Amino acid sequence: MSPELVLFLQTLVSGILIGFVFSLLSVGLTLIFGVMDIVNFAHGEHLMLAMYATFWMWTLWGIDPLFSLPVVALLLFILGVITYRLLIRYVLDAPMLAQIFVTFGLMVFLRNLAQVLWSEDYRRIGDTLLSGRIELFGIFIGRPQLFASLGAVITTGLLYFFLKRTRTGWALEATAEDKEVAGLMGINTERMFALAWGLGLASVGVAGALLATFNPIFPEVGTVFVLVTFVAVALGGFGSVPGAFIAGIIIGIVQVLGGFLWEPRFKTVLIYAIYLGVVFIRPQGLLGRR
Amino acid sequence: MLRLTRVLLILVLAGLVLAGCVAPQPAAPAAPAPAEQPAAEEAQAPAAPEEIVIGAIYPLSGALAATGVDLKNAVELATDIINNEYDLNLPLAKSAGLPNLGGAKIKLVFGDHEADPEKGAAEAERLITTENVTALVGSYNSAVTATASQVAEREGVPFLNPESTSPTLTERGFQWFFRTTPYDKLFAENFFEFLDEMKAKGYDVSGVAILNENTLWGTDVATLENEFAQQYGYEVVANIPYEAKASDVSSEVQKLKAAGEDVALLQASYVSDAILYMQTYKQLDYAPTAIIAMDAGFVASEFVQTLGDDANYILSREVWALDLAESKPIIKAVNDMYKERYGTNMNGNSARAFTGMLTLADAINRAGSTDPAAIQQALLETDIPADQIIMPWKGIKFDPETHQNVLGSGIIVQIQDGEYKTVWPFDLASAEIVWPFPKWSER
Amino acid sequence: MQRIRWQLLVLVLVVLLLLAFPFYVAQPFLQRTMILVVMWSVLGLAWNILGGYAGQVSFGHAIFFGLGAYTSTYLFTEWGISPWLGMFVGAGVAVLVSIVIGWPSFRLVGHYFAIATIAAGEIFAVIFRNWKAVGGAVGIYLPIIRGDRLIDYQFQEFKAGYYYIILAMLALIVLVTYRLERTRMGYYLKAIREDSEAARSLGINITRYKLYAMMISAAFTAIVGTFYAQFVLYISPNTVFALAISIQMALVAILGGTGTLLGPIIGAAVLIPMAEYTRVYLAGRAGGLHLVVYGLLIMLISVYQPAGLMGIYREWQHKRAARGMVNDSLPVATAEGGADDAVA
Repeated sequence: MSPELVLFLQTLVSGILIGFVFSLLSVGLTLIFGVMDIVNFAHGEHLMLAMYATFWMWTLWGIDPLFSLPVVALLLFILGVITYRLLIRYVLDAPMLAQIFVTFGLMVFLRNLAQVLWSEDYRRIGDTLLSGRIELFGIFIGRPQLFASLGAVITTGLLYFFLKRTRTGWALEATAEDKEVAGLMGINTERMFALAWGLGLASVGVAGALLATFNPIFPEVGTVFVLVTFVAVALGGFGSVPGAFIAGIIIGIVQVLGGFLWEPRFKTVLIYAIYLGVVFIRPQGLLGRR
Repeated sequence: MLRLTRVLLILVLAGLVLAGCVAPQPAAPAAPAPAEQPAAEEAQAPAAPEEIVIGAIYPLSGALAATGVDLKNAVELATDIINNEYDLNLPLAKSAGLPNLGGAKIKLVFGDHEADPEKGAAEAERLITTENVTALVGSYNSAVTATASQVAEREGVPFLNPESTSPTLTERGFQWFFRTTPYDKLFAENFFEFLDEMKAKGYDVSGVAILNENTLWGTDVATLENEFAQQYGYEVVANIPYEAKASDVSSEVQKLKAAGEDVALLQASYVSDAILYMQTYKQLDYAPTAIIAMDAGFVASEFVQTLGDDANYILSREVWALDLAESKPIIKAVNDMYKERYGTNMNGNSARAFTGMLTLADAINRAGSTDPAAIQQALLETDIPADQIIMPWKGIKFDPETHQNVLGSGIIVQIQDGEYKTVWPFDLASAEIVWPFPKWSER
Repeated sequence: MQRIRWQLLVLVLVVLLLLAFPFYVAQPFLQRTMILVVMWSVLGLAWNILGGYAGQVSFGHAIFFGLGAYTSTYLFTEWGISPWLGMFVGAGVAVLVSIVIGWPSFRLVGHYFAIATIAAGEIFAVIFRNWKAVGGAVGIYLPIIRGDRLIDYQFQEFKAGYYYIILAMLALIVLVTYRLERTRMGYYLKAIREDSEAARSLGINITRYKLYAMMISAAFTAIVGTFYAQFVLYISPNTVFALAISIQMALVAILGGTGTLLGPIIGAAVLIPMAEYTRVYLAGRAGGLHLVVYGLLIMLISVYQPAGLMGIYREWQHKRAARGMVNDSLPVATAEGGADDAVA
């Protein structure tokens, strides 16, 4: 292959790989939104907590991220349920502003709590079972990124299967459709909401554990990913799991390839512009329902 | 209801007229504090105050809190050395307090600016007006130093800046602003002097690539590097500014690869992006002839900690390095004190803040009073020799116009086995330079 | 009638106290904090016109703030045009941009609109960071002009000059909001907020009225942007186009209570001194601890009283009314009118 082609393909592959990470991050956010119309502004901070959890398990007990992943997911699931029970429950029927406000407060709280507890230092997990890279026809693929992509596909797949093929999943979707009717049908909507938060955060937990293998960990790490995640969720259509998944990959490719072909400093502008372009034509996003 | 509107309107107009009338008079009743204060201090002057209050404005919380704490520790250590007797060859170390002011002690008051220029100005104002500080030091972030020193300029209070390197700061023609640290212009020129000297040694590079984060600091640096590249005759093969809060930098690295690897990469990055870049270089196998960094992220303590061996062979400009102690024993003495108290070694930031504080105290002592004009005059007459500072500079002496320390100079360090070794200027070097940057597959 | 006279008295007293503030509080730091409180009140009220009355939650108002700051500063530093004039040019630019952004965005509902404004805000920040002609990432320094003349829009000794300017802006936006609440447009906006479908079926041109609200909101935000530039004398994309500005504008309004006249003012009066004083007293001692408390408070308020501090006040008023203490004012204690009458 010619060097130009290699360079181009390499860029494309890098874009797809980071795109999967965006996908995984967006899926959890969109699930919560789909079920109860609440945007979790503390999403980035939940990611941060998951990364720290992975980091501490690795540092203190030497548990490899590959094995701590399910534990982190479980921890985040519990955190999601607690967050719902302690906070979100009270603002379900409040105006949208109050809902934004409560998760915004949670964001400020968690980010600064992390700073007080663990300091502003940047941390990184050293060599893990997932470290290294693979070379394919002169194209390099980082193993952590590859595993993150796999994780994204599996998690999204499981989530989708759960929503479409299990009784609890149907109940969740019914609650998302109409809370009152679902309640009348005998669904415990309160439990469904808690479940949505648990699942949403659990998928962030998976993302955090995988991301922690190749991204520096620090209290403000959430801010790096959260805007892109919001855009991915909105682009895919609020509440649509497949939409968020596809949008994440699109954003990854656009960002990396666009940055390479055009000016890197404008790559975020490109994402936002595409988002605005799409929603101006299709206000409900790619796969969203009105 | 309409009546209320009218009344309100009239009152507002009245307020505006009032503001308009009162404003031109400088001695308005609203501003008695600044008018009375100097008088009160002059009255005290013969008796010599027991305490001299100095304000220090640093990012003590928020994203830069870790650096802020380093800086705070450094000025506290300097203050302790001034206030008590130590057998060190530093200004004011051997005496307790300031001898020319009857042994008056220095008291520090801290302000937290959270890296926000508006808050920096607010803190400067608060420290000057309510804490009655004699002088200010700070504020690390160039943008905050800009606004905080503006307040000091307005109030006529000396502002000593030990560690902001944006060139514009000393180009504003301020009367009360002094900067001890060498600044980015000098550092950028250092790079090309260094490359020229390497060329003389037989190590040639065909050109440079410039990679910089896209805020005030990185942009300033890149502009200067471009200017000097032209002046020194180096081709700039790529010029890539990027957004510092990056989740992924593969497009930037691919662009660098496309521009060719037979160049020296001049990089200006903060910590998280510096780490991200190093990982991406490794993954995508990018190894230019040399990576020469403009300190910041590359000299943060976390850089080597998180990257381990992958951090090796990076060159970075620095203002200070611990291995300078080999040619300057005073550095070891001060660093030992610092390490005993705070548990870490000093770094370029804390060493500069320490030096700035001593310079300011030295000037206040020579002024012999807390009168701002006398301190200003004393600062202009500052002449601290090279052997009395812990920096690799030729001394401290301010330019009468810009108030920039003209004796400052930079060094270039290289990370070797996880430690920063001085490699340039060659006469201060403690280790031989590794050149070129080894390919990732060969290390 | 008696009630109105009583309220008039309170109003006159409050206004007089506000006007006289620099004369009884001479301490510059307190004056500065007061200026910030008033400034954020104006910003909160400006946000409130779109976010509170029209129900369009924007996280992109830093665009207008930045445009105001940049327009007047650029005109002044490059061409020597007075910031007083530049302030209105800036407002004009902001209004134009608000139309360009608002026109397509108003097709978006709820969260889509909020995210779109974040995206637009980020685009502006990146553009200004890379726009060499206006200083790029370095920003613009404003020259210090001594003499404290009103015409220069700068006060070095006489801080109160800034105070009176921003106070005048506050009065102006209070007037505009007060009038707005009582005009047809105010009712239309509320109708749009409560049920846009119903509003549409009543024949209200939804997009047009949302756009009007956004234009007013943008103009005021831009004017305060100019004020900020003159007050701090240094602007850069990272400070005036920051997402943090957009969020804080929303926060003061939400904390105090959106869709009310007094809410944003109360929000700013609580939030700004809280932020300033926790910073001063905890500086360096506890790292980000004050922000932890701050986050906790935000959560508590939104859980306990989603309608903001004004909601607490109204509840109290309801209780008082129920107890018969203000028996002649039952109508004003309704949710709709309570806030307005508190100031009227």
